[in-house]
Amino acid sequence: MSARATVRVALVAFLLLVVQSTVMLSIRVGGVHPDLVWLIPITAALLAGPETGAIVGFWSGLAFDLILPTPFGLSALVGCLLGYTTGVATAAVDRRAVWLRPVAAVIGGVAADMLFAVLGAIFGQQQMVQIDFLSLFVVVAASSVLLVLPVSRLMRWALSTEGNRRTLVSAHSGESGIW
Amino acid sequence: MASLSIISLDLNGRTHSITSGVKSVANDVYSPLRQAVVDVLNPIGDFFAGAFHYGAVQSENQKLRATVGALEQAKAEQAFERNQLRQLTALENLPFLGSLPTVMAETTENDSSNFTMTITIDKGRADGVDVGMPVVGAGGLVGQVIQAFHHSAVVQLITDGQSKVGVTFGNELTGVIDGQGPDTSMTADLVPPHTALHKDELMFTSSLDDASYPPGIPVARVAAFHAGAGASQETITVTPMADLDQLAYVDVVLWAPTA
Repeated sequence: MSARATVRVALVAFLLLVVQSTVMLSIRVGGVHPDLVWLIPITAALLAGPETGAIVGFWSGLAFDLILPTPFGLSALVGCLLGYTTGVATAAVDRRAVWLRPVAAVIGGVAADMLFAVLGAIFGQQQMVQIDFLSLFVVVAASSVLLVLPVSRLMRWALSTEGNRRTLVSAHSGESGIW
Repeated sequence: MASLSIISLDLNGRTHSITSGVKSVANDVYSPLRQAVVDVLNPIGDFFAGAFHYGAVQSENQKLRATVGALEQAKAEQAFERNQLRQLTALENLPFLGSLPTVMAETTENDSSNFTMTITIDKGRADGVDVGMPVVGAGGLVGQVIQAFHHSAVVQLITDGQSKVGVTFGNELTGVIDGQGPDTSMTADLVPPHTALHKDELMFTSSLDDASYPPGIPVARVAAFHAGAGASQETITVTPMADLDQLAYVDVVLWAPTA
């Protein structure tokens, strides 16, 4: 990613971090609030491929880890895996398909929450699997469908400064200097 | 690999200070900004909430006034007994909560993650708040400080799945109250079967659990109990004394665990 795209992605991640910790925390359904963190790597992966998705997922997850009481680095790990998996799993899908972003957001969001909880339990936080997963999945799925389009719009703006759109990923596969 | 390394650093007792230091700096920088955004957004949210729920708010206000009146009356009546109890406790050389210094804090955030039951308060190391300190309010023990930053701290609620509180009740009986996560009743474990119990029996912090809490803080009351055939312990469900849905303000007890 170019320096300009990196700065823009950082700005988008910061904006979503602020929205998550203010607006989203006040929206609760069954004690569960929507989660924006997973939409960042999902949209980045859909727009620019698995490598960019993984990089964006790692750094945005790390930023969210700074304000979460869960183990530091856990969101970064899940975000990285999510971004890469989303990019690989949707590689053969037509980008123009209307259903792609909502479906990827729902499946990705639910899978990421499940992985987050299981990995948290493995790392000693057993309380992370003692929650009402049904409520969590319903809220996360519904909010992901609603929010994926605006987040995708922001991510498109952030990544639009360079030629790292999905179709050009193969030509720039060596670019991962942000690591 | 980078993520796993960071998680390892965070979970390792010797290197945890590195990650907690980074989080502390980030929180100290971010908290004022977040609060500014909340201050801007709150009046807008309150406007809509008030418009939609005006009748309910008025009714709740009347109930609260009645409750405050009843509590003030009870407080006046109990002043004498409290004074006597404080004197007796001092004679026993036990740290009674009333004699311990506290810092009042405002709750700025509830359950910042869907996977933990925590609150964030607006007092931190600069105010004397540190990791391990008990937090009380709304009728009893609320939880314990698990992360302390310069001007804020994260409190793990007693209902969180990771929470364990050593308690004493009845005739010098002891047990451990385990949090079970949201929407699941807390349990009191390690109580022998057929122990003499009664419904609504109060349980207080004991000093046996590696002195994680000062003794005497009300924690929970017994909701139900039974001993199954051949069970190694009594099955006890308890409800927290503190109303964990009303935690706008809490007191941090400036008492550090000995362990």
